[in-house]
Amino acid sequence: MYMTPLLEIQDLKVSIDGSQILNGVSLQFEAGKVYAVLGPNASGKSTLAKAIMGLPEFNITSGDILYNGESILDDNITERANMGIAYAFQIPPAIPGVRFDDFICRICPEYQCKEPEGHFMGKACSCRMELYDDFERLGISNLAYRDLNEGFSGGEQKRSELFQVLAMQPQIMFLDEPDSGLDYDSLKLVGRELKSIREKGTTTMVVISHHRYILEFLEVDVVYILQGGRLVYTGDMEDIPVLAEKGYERFLSEMKEAA
Amino acid sequence: MTSSERKEQAEAAKDRKATYGADIDLDEYQFGGNPQKMAADQISEDDKDLVEEVGFRTDQKGVSGSFAQFDNESILADVLMSQEGLEVMPISQALTKYDWLSDYLWNAVSVDTDKYTARSELESYDGYFIRALPGQKIRMPVQTCLVMKKKQFAQNVHNILIAEEGSELHIVTGCATPSTVEQSLHLGVSEFYVKKDARMTFTMVHKWNEAVDVRPRSAAIVQENGVFVSSYAILSPIKSIQTYPKVRLVGKNARAELYSVVYGTKDSVYDIGGSLMLEAEGSSGKVISRTIATENSEIIARGDLQGRVAGVKARLECNGLLLSKSAKIVAVPVLDASAEGVELSHEATVGKVGADQLNYLMSRGLTEDEATSLIVRGFIKLQAPDLPPALQRTIDEAVQLTLEQGL
Ligand SMILES: Nc1ncnc2c1ncn2[C@@H]1O[C@H](COP(=O)(O)OP(=O)(O)O)[C@@H](O)[C@H]1O
Ligand SMILES: [Mg+2]
Repeated sequence: MYMTPLLEIQDLKVSIDGSQILNGVSLQFEAGKVYAVLGPNASGKSTLAKAIMGLPEFNITSGDILYNGESILDDNITERANMGIAYAFQIPPAIPGVRFDDFICRICPEYQCKEPEGHFMGKACSCRMELYDDFERLGISNLAYRDLNEGFSGGEQKRSELFQVLAMQPQIMFLDEPDSGLDYDSLKLVGRELKSIREKGTTTMVVISHHRYILEFLEVDVVYILQGGRLVYTGDMEDIPVLAEKGYERFLSEMKEAA
Repeated sequence: MTSSERKEQAEAAKDRKATYGADIDLDEYQFGGNPQKMAADQISEDDKDLVEEVGFRTDQKGVSGSFAQFDNESILADVLMSQEGLEVMPISQALTKYDWLSDYLWNAVSVDTDKYTARSELESYDGYFIRALPGQKIRMPVQTCLVMKKKQFAQNVHNILIAEEGSELHIVTGCATPSTVEQSLHLGVSEFYVKKDARMTFTMVHKWNEAVDVRPRSAAIVQENGVFVSSYAILSPIKSIQTYPKVRLVGKNARAELYSVVYGTKDSVYDIGGSLMLEAEGSSGKVISRTIATENSEIIARGDLQGRVAGVKARLECNGLLLSKSAKIVAVPVLDASAEGVELSHEATVGKVGADQLNYLMSRGLTEDEATSLIVRGFIKLQAPDLPPALQRTIDEAVQLTLEQGL
């Protein structure tokens, strides 16, 4: 029986400023599974995720994106976000004057204060307390009162992005190199956080990464490899150590020979 | 300077055009008046609504003193009974009471600066005198409000504010006109004196209308270890405003910060500046403006830092956000160092709301309008670290209110 996948990409061609970056990519993401999207630098991984999120500079020249079987090409970013698609930015822009904790409360219903304003006589409401506890879990308590993304270090950006995306409780999340620039301790925190999401099984996770640690820790179900804007390989967990050892070039050429 | 010398100088400058801003024909306006004292309970209901819009509390809750002037007609001046060490009175009364006060008159601001200062001196005037006595820390703000209601009329005030040695003084002031007033002019001379080890903050919210021209002439002199913080928000339409407050840091380690927020609407022209003259060792400061231009508004944001002795340090930021194709923002930063080892820096940006910021916020579920408004609110947020939280809130609330109406 054919189950409609949560997200299906059909022969997607994407160009930026007139130059084509994705040259016809077809792949699927099923509900509840964990995917790795791998590939050498500049192979189009981020482009794929951003085009799915609907960022307007990514021009879809042909193909389709189906979400629960329906095309979402006409939906804007906000609409896609509200459908349950989330993207953790590689380099999120700074938003001066918008406090990180206020912003989270604004975008996540879970943390929104349900009490009337002024009710707490200067004390934080219980939702805020919960929020601060959750910050603590990802080691970003120090960011609470800072302006969103303003001067966040590389590692802080990653964890703040992950925090936001998780808090939105999406159906599918694209994590664009959630592990790059993290120290060992942060890597563990992030790994554990992602693992617990995986175990709940309610969210499809797509991880773009260059490191095996997170992917192996998460036990990804499917590995997609992009190269030159094309899907060149589909595999699974077993491929990751081989890939790490041989590198993309050798791995892919040996695969071609074998085929 | 004697009174007759002042008049002479003013007479000589009577036709001197200002360096900036559209020239105004002063003969089109009626000057003068003889303000009478009034009590808080004599303020009419309409006037109450008006002054409350710029943060003036007619119940006088949470303030240490109040001053309100309606055209050049009636004046309210009050100090909280239990408040020691504070003086709030009409300048006319203060000049009679204190002989020494004439030394402060036209000292920070020169009477012959231009035709506006000259005319202010030549016509009869009133205004406020606010003073914190030596060592008095007056934590609750003094509120002042200048209201202009008459048509074809010029309201000319002369204010003198003094924080004596070791004192602390916070002023929150609003200026307002009812939306129905036609063609009128506000000339406000304000002289600030911050003595050794004193702190003064001045928080001002302007609410004028499209028929009003405003030409404030303000200057401050800050002495050793003194701190002067001015925060200014103009959020309403106006015909034109041109203001360029100048602060002289004359004492060792004196510090000044000038913040302004301009939210330009309609066909208004705002020429807003701030100048710091760093004349003493260890003096420092900031001039920061955030401007937002919508509709057909035009904003000129000037800033001027002058380092006169070695080792002084100051920063200038003019950031503008254009929200309309037919609006205009010009940033004019000037850094002028005439000594070695002066550290002056500036940042000037004028731009639209960034697409990357918008897309990012939309990816978190906000609509385009919500995202724009969040970016604008964040941009305009003034964070003056030396401002008491209550005054910060005054500015924040005024800004929020405007944005809610505007966006
Ligand atoms: N905004 C952009 N403008 C121009 N070229 C871009 C832009 N974004 C990505 N590209 C180009 O598209 C190609 C794929 O980029 P990207 O998807 O970021 O690769 P990856 O994430 O796999 O490293 C690269 O050659 C990159 O330079
Ligand atoms: Mg990338």
